[in-house]
Order: sequence, then structure tokens, then C-alpha cells
Amino acid sequence: MSNVMKEYFLDLDRAAKDPARKVAWCTSVGPAEILRAMGFEVFFPENHGAMLGATRVCMETIPVANAHGYSPEICSYLTSDIGAYMKGITPLTKAFGIEEIPRPDVLVYNTNQCKDVMHWFEYYASEFNAPIFGIHPPTNLPEIKPEYIDDVARQFEALIHFLEPVIGHPMNKEKLKSTVALSLEATNLWSDVLNMAQAAPSPMTFFDSTVYMGPIVVLRGTEIAVKYYKDLLKDLKEKIQKNHSAIPKENKRIYWDGMPVWGRLRAQSNIFKENKACVVASTYCNSWIFSDFDPENPLPSMAKAYIKIFINRNDQYKEDYIEKMVKDFKIDGVIFMAARTCPNNSNASYNLPRKLKDKGIPTIIIDGDLCDLRCYSDEQSTTLIEAFLETI
Amino acid sequence: MAVTEEIYWGVDCGSSEIKVVALDGQGNILLKRKQKTLFPLQDHVRLALAGESGDLSPFRNEGSHDIKEGHKIIATGYGRKYIRFAHDALTEIKAHFIGVQKQCDLKDAYSIIDIGGQDSKIIAACNNKVDQFAINRKCAAGTGAYIEELGHRLEVPLKDMTELARGNDKELSLNSFCTVFSGQEVIKTLMNGERIENIIYALYSSVVKRVMEMTAITTDMVVFSGGVLEYHSELVNMFIRKLEENNANMTCILSPNAQYCGAIGAAEYGFKSS
Ligand code: SF4
Repeated sequence: MSNVMKEYFLDLDRAAKDPARKVAWCTSVGPAEILRAMGFEVFFPENHGAMLGATRVCMETIPVANAHGYSPEICSYLTSDIGAYMKGITPLTKAFGIEEIPRPDVLVYNTNQCKDVMHWFEYYASEFNAPIFGIHPPTNLPEIKPEYIDDVARQFEALIHFLEPVIGHPMNKEKLKSTVALSLEATNLWSDVLNMAQAAPSPMTFFDSTVYMGPIVVLRGTEIAVKYYKDLLKDLKEKIQKNHSAIPKENKRIYWDGMPVWGRLRAQSNIFKENKACVVASTYCNSWIFSDFDPENPLPSMAKAYIKIFINRNDQYKEDYIEKMVKDFKIDGVIFMAARTCPNNSNASYNLPRKLKDKGIPTIIIDGDLCDLRCYSDEQSTTLIEAFLETI
Repeated sequence: MAVTEEIYWGVDCGSSEIKVVALDGQGNILLKRKQKTLFPLQDHVRLALAGESGDLSPFRNEGSHDIKEGHKIIATGYGRKYIRFAHDALTEIKAHFIGVQKQCDLKDAYSIIDIGGQDSKIIAACNNKVDQFAINRKCAAGTGAYIEELGHRLEVPLKDMTELARGNDKELSLNSFCTVFSGQEVIKTLMNGERIENIIYALYSSVVKRVMEMTAITTDMVVFSGGVLEYHSELVNMFIRKLEENNANMTCILSPNAQYCGAIGAAEYGFKSS
């Protein structure tokens, strides 16, 4: 795994230094396939935000962004990342010896997840004086209507026209089809990987998946991602055959809604291990399953897949989705992580936990954040999680 | 051959006090005592366990294997993880529930309101188990720390608060969520010449509000536990008034040994699981 990610970053670094190659920045559920098919190397600032969170370097960088007018209440990926840029540091240096983040030749965001990405990318577009393009799909959808798909497919076409002069050649339709085909293959494999946790005991935990997910976020549309997930799937199948249990004596199975608390993955993973509970599934890791991709119909199918995502739906959809996951993964209880700085990925604010509880599914809310550990209490979260595990 | 004496210890290691309870081999309460939470924690817990006798011998070293035969120690409270010689640990949610369950003969569904030093909880219990629970989120408002902090600002000793609150002549309220803002509100109210009695009443009233908004109480019975409620009886009365206002069928009781419910629950857990 570390090699796949290392190679990805080293190549990006080379691309950024090579005038013949172009780097595009893209949001994590943005149209990466279009960018890859046109020949861009793609960098995902949210992945960088997660690295800043996991290394806890963000605790030095968020305050810098705060001091420069970016509120502590907004996306802490954004504040971690912009703060790091202002401070002139990146976790890529320690991890891979890379001095700085790759300079963008173009920035492409999609507000299917939130509007913070727009503010975030606009900051860099202005810093680097680089062209920027936003996809603005309909949001918070109860259902996916054909007109929504048409709308977004047209925005993708406009994006392609916008990108052609940047890269210096037109889109090759066949290349787009083959990139979408690779993306579909990888995302289906990722789905199979996550479904391995339906086995009881589970061979993997949510905390493992937060590592496994790297390539589906940053390498969609490449052979590398396909190979990585094929190998991983094989490993996990072998583990299941050998009855290998990620949590020794697993006796409780938990669903995690909301984002990981990146700086506390290990500590949280230990709480579950000590209590023989396995977090077997999550909203977050499942967010990169795009089964609607269709290589024969690339733009409309991408439009559908990217507006259909969980984060872009209404609460009824979310309730039904979690209920199904509870059944499929034989879940004993659902933990909602309410991230202080990302209301978009926090689903506990409009009574969803109580609705599920009324259907007989135990739920608990813990307060925290993706990056900003000032919004997280180890003591309180440990007590809440343990008390929850004691009661279910 | 002499039979080994069995003692089940419950240690509730809170943010401000360590509470210790011992049960005998039949589950009767042998003793209860408390001391300030001081550091190094392990040593002070050991001292609290030993009590006035100063006999540390049953609680010698680091691991539970070193505890004298017949003694079993269960830890709870925020410091539970740091008492390395304890045989087992459970959260204060479960401990308070078991403590109340042991002492109050309750057949129907009930809720526990527990106000601790740094957190407040509402625990709903039915069919002899915890059904759901809520803890205060994000800040100290609604906890013992909130009362202490504002008492300190007002230079009112905690023991005088209940009497002062009873002397109110209007129902003043504080609106801020957080302790710092509440402090500012209090100062402003004082500057306006408000009577201290009304301010203490407002402070209690804001604890009631903060706790009641944590989760809806759906049972007809509420049991109060925790040291804060044991010491602030007017706060309990205000809770009762509010609960009865919301539900005409409400019955409220203060748990015996309210401050020790967590420690009693931990000891009982050790007793029952042995
Ligand atoms: S979805 Fe949340 S975490 Fe992700 S970029 Fe938007 S605000 Fe930040």
C-alpha cells in the first residue's frame, strides 16, 4: 500500500516539475476520469488534508489559517491545508521527501459534497493564478431525476471544452471510455473489498479501510488502482478462509457514520479492540462506490454516479441506506461522528439517530472532527463509545 | 483452615473526588469514603482504598495480581483507565445504573439524572438494563464545574448556594451556552445591582435547562444521583418542579448515597460477576 501511494506522489512531484506534463487539482468526488482521460496528473487536496490530520501536523497549521481569516468553524481540511501552504510545509516531505505540493495547471471542483471546496479551490486559483472550473450539481436530493443527470452531463461537456486549451489537445473519446471502464472496475473491486467485512468475524475494520481507501480516492481510472484492489481482495478472501478475525473474539459489530477522526485513528481502534467490537462498515469508505459508471455512456453515467452519492442526498435516503447496511453487515449499533467543521458529513443533526433508534437500531453520537482535535475529547469519546458497547 | 474474607471495592475516580465503597461477601455496604482527586492518581487511589487505617497491604503494586486474595477492585469514572491495579473497569454510565438499581427497588422504566464534576448524564433504564443515555456535549455548562466556576467568580461558597437560591424573589435566567459567556452575563447582572440570591437561582436554573435539553425524558420516574445534586438540594427541587411541569405523573427520588452511586455500582459489578 505505502508503495502505491508513494509512487503516486513521487510521480505527481515529477509531473509538477516537468513543463511537458500538466497537473490538475480535483475534489475527492470530482470528475477525475475526465482529467485522467485528457492526460492530466491529478492531485486531491482533501487527501492532503487527511494526511495533515493523520500526522496531526494540522494542529500547527489550522491556527495559521484561522489567524488569516479562515474561521475555526469551517472545513478543517481546508484550514489544515491552506494553513500548511501559508506556513510552507507539507507532510509529503517527511513521508516521501517531496518538498512542496504539486503546483496546479488547473483546478476542478464539484460541489456535490459541499461548498467549502469551492472557497478552498478559489483560494489556490488566485494564489497560483491558475484557471478554475466548478461543477455545480443539484444538491441534497431525495431522488435522481433525468434532468439532473442531463444538467451535470452538460456541465461535464463544458468542462471538457474548458480543459482542451489547457492541455493543448481535444478529448479522445476512446480514452475517456477506457478510463471510465478502469474506474468502474476499481470501484467495483473496492465495493467487493468493503463487503468482505460482511463475514463474521470480519477480516478487516473501518480503521483498516481508511488506509485501504487511498487508491480509490486518488487513482481512480488507472490500472494501478485495479491491481491494488485485486490483490487486496485476494488477501482478504484468504483471511476469511482461514477464519482470521481483525478483532480477536469479535462479539459486537458497529457501523460508523461520518468522517474518521484522522488524528485519533489508532486510539479509537484500540478502544474497539479492547472491547472486542469491530467497526465493520462506514458511510465514509462506501462513499467511493460508483457502480453507475458506464464506459459506453461515460458522461451521463458519471453525472449520475457523482450526484447519487450519500452526502448529496436527503435524510430519508440516508436512513434507508444505513438501515440496509445494518442488515447486510449484521450491525449491532451505529456510531454517528458529528464533525464540528463538516456538517456535510455529519448526519446526526436532524434527528436521524433517533429515527433509527425507534426502528430498534441502537445509536450514539460522539462529537469530534476530521482534523481539528481542539473539537475532540478523548475522555468523553472513550466513555461514550465504551458505555454504548456496554449497553448494546 | 480460615476462610478468606471477601471484599468488593468500587472506586469511582472522578475529576474532583475519588469515591471508594466496599461491599462484603453478601453485597452489603461495609464502608464508603472519599478524598480529593490528587496526583499521582494510583497512589491517591491506593490511599483512598486504605483509608484511615493506612493499611496499603491489600493494594500493593501495579498489577491486579498483587492485590491481596479475596479483594476485588472495580474502577469507574474518568480516571478508570489509569487505575492499573483494578481487576476490571466499567463506564460511569453502567456504574451509576447498577448503583441505583441496587439501592432503589424500581420495577418500571426510569431515568437517572446524574450531575458530575465535569459531565452530566441522563440514563434511561427499562427491563433491568440501560436503554439509552446522553452526556452533555461540548462544554461544561450544566455540570458541577460550571457551578463551581461561577460560584468562585461570585465568591459564594458552594455550601451556601442552596440557601441563597431559596431566597430568590424573581425567576432570572442566564442564556449563554458556555461557562465563560455565562460568567460575563453574571457580572453584567451584578453590575446592574441584581441580588445575589436571584443570580444563584438563575445559575441553578441554567443547569436545569442545559440538562433537560440533552435528551427528552420519557419515563414517569426520575432518580437523581451524583455529588452535585446531593449538595445542592434546591437544584434538585428545581429539577423536580420542571419535571412535574412537563409530566403530571412524574415521581422523583434522590438515590440513597447519591454521591457514591458510581462506586457502589462498580463494587456491585465486582460482587455480581465473581
Ligand atoms: S465535505 Fe466536509 S470535509 Fe469534505 S471538503 Fe467539504 S466541508 Fe471539508
